[in-house]
Amino acid sequence: MRELTVRDMLYETPGKETRKKTAVATVVSLLVIMVFLCYIVKLFSESGQLDSRYWFFFTKLTTWKFLFEGILGTLEASLLAGTSALAIGFVFMCMRICVYKPLNYIGIALVEFTRGVPTLLFIYFFFLDVPKMGINLPTVWRISLPVAISASGMVSEVLRSGVNAVPKGQREAALSIGMREINVFLKIIFPQAVRYIIPALVSDLVIVVKDTTFSYILSFPDLMQNAKVLISNYDALLSVYLVAGVIYILINYFLNRISVSLAKRSGMTPVVGR
Amino acid sequence: MTISELLSQYGDKYVEALLTTWQLTFISFAGAMIIGIIITVMRVCPVKPLRISGDIYVQIFRNIPGASLLIFLVYALPNLQVILSYYQCVLIATVLIPAAFASEYLMSGINAIGIGQIEAARSLGMDFGIMMRKVVIPQAVRFSILPMTNLLIATMLTTSLASQVPLNPKDLTGLVSYINTRDTGGVTSFLISAVMYCGTAVIIGQIGSYIDRKVRIVR
Amino acid sequence: MERNKDVLDKSLEIPVVELRHVEKYYGEMHALKDINLSVERGEVVVLIGPSGSGKSTLCRTINRLETIKSGEIRIEGKKLPEGGKELAELRTQIGMVFQSFNLFAHRTILDNVMMGPIDVLKRPEEEVKKEALELLKRVGVDSQADKFPAKLSGGQQQRAAIARSLAMHPKVMLFDEPTSALDPEMIQEVLDVMTELAHEGMTMIVVTHEMNFARRVADRVVFMADGSIIEEAAPDEFFTNPKSERAREFLDSINRH
Repeated sequence: MRELTVRDMLYETPGKETRKKTAVATVVSLLVIMVFLCYIVKLFSESGQLDSRYWFFFTKLTTWKFLFEGILGTLEASLLAGTSALAIGFVFMCMRICVYKPLNYIGIALVEFTRGVPTLLFIYFFFLDVPKMGINLPTVWRISLPVAISASGMVSEVLRSGVNAVPKGQREAALSIGMREINVFLKIIFPQAVRYIIPALVSDLVIVVKDTTFSYILSFPDLMQNAKVLISNYDALLSVYLVAGVIYILINYFLNRISVSLAKRSGMTPVVGR
Repeated sequence: MTISELLSQYGDKYVEALLTTWQLTFISFAGAMIIGIIITVMRVCPVKPLRISGDIYVQIFRNIPGASLLIFLVYALPNLQVILSYYQCVLIATVLIPAAFASEYLMSGINAIGIGQIEAARSLGMDFGIMMRKVVIPQAVRFSILPMTNLLIATMLTTSLASQVPLNPKDLTGLVSYINTRDTGGVTSFLISAVMYCGTAVIIGQIGSYIDRKVRIVR
Repeated sequence: MERNKDVLDKSLEIPVVELRHVEKYYGEMHALKDINLSVERGEVVVLIGPSGSGKSTLCRTINRLETIKSGEIRIEGKKLPEGGKELAELRTQIGMVFQSFNLFAHRTILDNVMMGPIDVLKRPEEEVKKEALELLKRVGVDSQADKFPAKLSGGQQQRAAIARSLAMHPKVMLFDEPTSALDPEMIQEVLDVMTELAHEGMTMIVVTHEMNFARRVADRVVFMADGSIIEEAAPDEFFTNPKSERAREFLDSINRH
């Protein structure tokens, strides 16, 4: 039997009367949904958006190849940002769990700062201000670095929760066989911590993917930017943005699914993310 | 620019921008809660099509990037003869996305109660209304305080989308990009906005964990 | 210890709980097969059997926490309603004690006992509070009245849960493996409360693995296996001389432990 949740139990198992009422409600709600969908289709057709000229190019291989290149751009920026966030987050976490108090406070401040400031502000800083300082970063870094910094505080907290989840006995056992503190952390604690938090890290990747959407600000060829190019080529705005949106939703949906199934496998509760 | 130059030239604008960000945040959050609750009611009700629609809503809006949604609202909707003001577009985006997360948090709050207590409530003869009022909602709300606090902060961060459209007055992010495209605002100009965002986040976080400590259910 | 049975004029009484030809399926699994059972006022019926035999399911069908495919369940001659106000009302008369206590985690022990009478029966608070405190005293957790459930031991929680059910003045109490989730040293304190209840004349249906309790307190033992009632008998007779092969095997397997 499938595990029942409160969601399924909130209502009494229906008797005959209730089943009848539920059936009526089902039909009515289906009708309402149909009317809503019809209205949207009507909106599309009345404004001519169902015209084949807005959709024919999706049958061309080149269109998909171009969109796929965009997806690759998105993935490149996301993975770069993701790994950088992991590295920066690791440093933050080390500061936070370190025994030296001042470093500790700096760590806390950095985590709070990166978590409390919108990604866009970091992006504008790297886009508008950093070049004026005479620093010229490659385009991909101009999107990936701010996105990474913005995610680093969050990642640091995830890492820390993983480290805290490792049983204390592990550390004591390692110390008792004569390992040095630093080795205990790197060889015993951290590898175990990572296993606990992989689901949370994968779900954080969703946030990173979303944030790279701002690539269009600096014309880095990600999915959004390539969609814009398609739009100007075919003069088809709505259809292209719609398709691009769906692709983003699918990418993130699957990342979330992966996160949930990883969480189930390791017996942790799945994370909702942000 | 030095901090005193910035403040003398743009000081009022920063205050105005902070207020705009706050306003957007709280309106969006209130809207997100209302829609989130409606979506959650749909997702737990026994009518299948409503359940599925609720689930689909959440999957769409928790996975769509804010920028992509905003651009769609601003540039694509006019092609359907739906013309909204920039402000409306921003608000719609910053309501619809957090609403999906609000529903997710409420759902996990409801699920955290456990079937046992639902059965106990029923066995005591509570009808659906009493059970919801006395057992389900009070607990779901308590479980949701911390996630909702984080959602409020996340909503504030999402309102930075407002910088992507011309708005007057500008929000904190929009103002900084405005200053730096006209002037060399320097790191300081970013830091002022950042501190304002961050300070708000810290205050929200503190209030949230204070409330949570007060009402937390010992398990 | 013999109960005063002459208050029961069997010819006039309708059974408090009566199941007729009850069938239940979980998907393909035939969980309850043609169950017929009737429980008289003041009777203590103990359901025993191997796990998966359907005894818990049977217990839970009586207040419709589980629905049935066909057959009939009557409480004091009245058919169990399928939902709505009637079902809620009938449930106020059927006490239920769960394996996992299921106290409301956000309310104190006292509140837990008071919620039913106040929110469901709409009785005045003062009167209810007085009675609730008495009930808690009776089950021996009055000193914990203002604590939250999580602060209590399992045995204390279960006794509080019994008090919560009693506060509704039920006509019958259902116990669904009330001691299975308890540490060994806490089992007895819960069984003691249940024994006392039985001696006061409460009508009880108890699903349990505690054979000593069944032997000492039950008026009738119902043995189930594979979703069917295999054997019904007085405890002395059942435990010394079971008629069916299944029951003999079951008792042997328990005695071996």
